Amino acid sequence: MTVASEKMSSLTIVSVSETIYNNLITSMVQDIVSRITSQKQLLDSRYPDMSPLFYDPQGKLDIHGQPKIQESSIYFRCNNCDRDISANRYAAHLERCMSRGNRKT
Amino acid sequence: MTSTDKEAMDLRAQIQQYLVESGNYERISNKLAQRLLDEGWMEQVKKITRETMEDDNTTNFSEVLKRVEPEAVNLVSSNTKDEIMQQIKAFLYDIVDTQ
Repeated sequence: MTVASEKMSSLTIVSVSETIYNNLITSMVQDIVSRITSQKQLLDSRYPDMSPLFYDPQGKLDIHGQPKIQESSIYFRCNNCDRDISANRYAAHLERCMSRGNRKT
Repeated sequence: MTSTDKEAMDLRAQIQQYLVESGNYERISNKLAQRLLDEGWMEQVKKITRETMEDDNTTNFSEVLKRVEPEAVNLVSSNTKDEIMQQIKAFLYDIVDTQ
């Protein structure tokens, strides 16, 4: 393709390049913005009273704004022997509980 | 609009058309997208968009775009912009007669 030179009077290579570049950039921005806004609209309509995840700059609180709970104060019910076992000793308990169960049968 | 403006616009459209048909448009576009992704521009724009939605309490596309677009265009690093502009110009020099 060749272009007659008199047509170039009001246009320069630089200005046309600038336009093409701007087209590229703005279409990318529009793409990103439209995706984010429609995503947000969907979330808002589906969960009207959703609050954003909690952020603690000190790193002490979790995403619900709660401090860490001591694992030793949580208990799991062991299905094998039907006793409540402290969460941080559950693996150790299973090792003994399961093998004891095996020995019995 | 004067006739020269009209011609200029036609010419611009013609050049874009040729860019697309030759496959160069896709190549340049892909390269720009890759560079913007690598330098974290994409994430920055997403962050700005979210903050704008929060500040103005709106999810209206055109309102948010009006606020975000100028800032996002400015955020492109000069390295990336220069390189892409260089490529577009090189392509134009190949196909256009200049005085």
